[in-house]
Amino acid sequence: MSATVLHAEVGVSDEKQAAAKSAGRRFGALVVRLGAIAAFAAIMAYFVIFAPGFTSTFNLINVVEQSAILGVLAYGMTAVIIGGGSDVTEGGIDLSIAANMGLCAAVYATLLSMGYGDFLSVLAAVAVGMAVGALNALAVVGLGILPLLATLAVLNVAAGMELTLTQNTVVGASSPLLGVLVSGSSLGISALAWALIVFSAIMIVLVHGTSFGLRLYAVGGHPEAARAAGIGVPFYVSFTYMLSGFCAAVASILTVSRLSASTPGSGELLLSVLAAALLGTVFSRRFVPTMGGTLLSVLFIGLLANGFQLLNVSSYWVNGVQGALILLVVAITSFARGSEGSR
Amino acid sequence: MSVSVNDNSAKVSVRGFLAKYSVLIAFAAIVIFFAVATPTFLTPANLFNVLVNNVVMLAIVALGLTIVISSGGIDLSVGVSVDMASMIFVMLLAAGYSGVVGVAGGLGAALIVGVLNAILITRLNISPFLATLGVLFIGQSTQQLATSGGQPIYLTSGYAADQFNAIARTALFGAPTPVIVLIVLVVAVHVLLHRSVFGRYVQAMGAQPGVAWYSGIRVPRELSMVHVLCALLAGVTGILLSATVKSYVPLSGNAFLLDAIGATFIGTTLSRERKPSVIGTLLGVLLLAIVKNGLLLVGWNFYWQQVGIGVLVFLVLAASFGLRRAAH
Repeated sequence: MSATVLHAEVGVSDEKQAAAKSAGRRFGALVVRLGAIAAFAAIMAYFVIFAPGFTSTFNLINVVEQSAILGVLAYGMTAVIIGGGSDVTEGGIDLSIAANMGLCAAVYATLLSMGYGDFLSVLAAVAVGMAVGALNALAVVGLGILPLLATLAVLNVAAGMELTLTQNTVVGASSPLLGVLVSGSSLGISALAWALIVFSAIMIVLVHGTSFGLRLYAVGGHPEAARAAGIGVPFYVSFTYMLSGFCAAVASILTVSRLSASTPGSGELLLSVLAAALLGTVFSRRFVPTMGGTLLSVLFIGLLANGFQLLNVSSYWVNGVQGALILLVVAITSFARGSEGSR
Repeated sequence: MSVSVNDNSAKVSVRGFLAKYSVLIAFAAIVIFFAVATPTFLTPANLFNVLVNNVVMLAIVALGLTIVISSGGIDLSVGVSVDMASMIFVMLLAAGYSGVVGVAGGLGAALIVGVLNAILITRLNISPFLATLGVLFIGQSTQQLATSGGQPIYLTSGYAADQFNAIARTALFGAPTPVIVLIVLVVAVHVLLHRSVFGRYVQAMGAQPGVAWYSGIRVPRELSMVHVLCALLAGVTGILLSATVKSYVPLSGNAFLLDAIGATFIGTTLSRERKPSVIGTLLGVLLLAIVKNGLLLVGWNFYWQQVGIGVLVFLVLAASFGLRRAAH
């Protein structure tokens, strides 16, 4: 934000210099974006050459399957960040999304194990997920609580309810829908992978292909301007939190299908979800969160974990390398943005 | 919008008053509720137990976060600072070194985390959120690699245990050392943040980073200091934690993160500009600790406690933010 102010002042004092500077910056940004993609490609090339079986169709589909849960959650988080603005402490964020997924999974698995059918159980999971999203929306939009704080409180509520419901145990579940998700496939691609592909397509079209998505960016980028332009800001922000809740519910069904159960500890996914949504910004031209960028970073994280596994590197390294890569990518990004972009 | 009727403005100021003190009012109401609901809550023994077990460690981490959040940043890696200090401290004692060496080593480990954060944020221009998130991931891996995947280290007897007891159980002026440490740190951070030149710089960076820079504040230097201080405070918690439970449990520090952020931001509701303050943060920590303890005494199990805390924090925030919005 301060960077824009500084740009404006530079522009007043010496327009030519500023133009040259911004051209240089645009060039720098291009280099970074290509650099990030090149780093991505280099790591992939290394895995292709040295990791046995990395490029087999089976393995790649396996990665997409494994990424499905993280991906769906990261889309929810991305939507919230787009609609709320990416300021660190005041912008949009949904800390409750992973805990919400845990709660939805617990509801879904518990209802199934009590003998309710797929239809009712899925409906209940989606209802719970969206109710949690509505609570976030009420807190952020209705009461004006900082998103960071509001969703933190809701995180505790959701995680506590999940524990109360399952008593911190694994709740096994099986149903026709889960059967399809586990073993179904079409065109040689498994159902879970299809779930990610279809969900990705919907989200990318919704956010990047419609006027709705354009307005969403306007709301997040400059709420006052959006309001002046006649956009119903509260509706858009509320929508992102509801969407985030919906994503949590969808992800909960995917996670129950993958593990054939609801298991405690889903809250640990939160940091990976945040990392995926934030890392995705490097894949966009103006370093804003995008659905496509999020998809790329989710696949990148998935491929990284998978490549390490195939190379027999201890899984203890994965978090650290992921963290180091985030730092590397972001450091290069901020370098290209110029020295004023420290915030 | 001008308010022409006196009656109306009185109403508005009552709302403003309620908004400002909603946390205090909620705090008092909760204390009274638990005092009436359970006979044991308001006994000195129980309050002392709350202070030692629920307040001290969280409060010290929250003090660090209060400094960082005042500067306009965030530190997601406080858990790593807690863990690294705890790990090095316990490992040194396990290797037979004295408590003094252990404490120095532990604080040194936390210092490294703080310096790393500072370099990433001030030299490489990474936003505090992402920089400390990256350090959090790296810290988790480091611990897993150092402990073969997260094996705890227990030192419950022998020389090391004596050293632990010397740190955690010695009484100074009738209070256990951790409580004394907390009191000293509260006073020190309060003076530093609210009464010193450094504190004014920190507040200025938090309020108007651009203006702070133009005013000649050496933002990188002050910001580095902020992050190093936060990591060191978290390191103190790591050492006190290990000395109290006589062990190092990998990845346990992260449990403080969300509570400490919550406590700091609950504290910001005390000020009109929503600035963090040491007093506010302490109030936030006390609120969380008392609710946890009270719900336990009322007979709620651990799972319901979490729901209760979430709901309560939500209501307090709703009251504070909602009333303030109505007052404007």
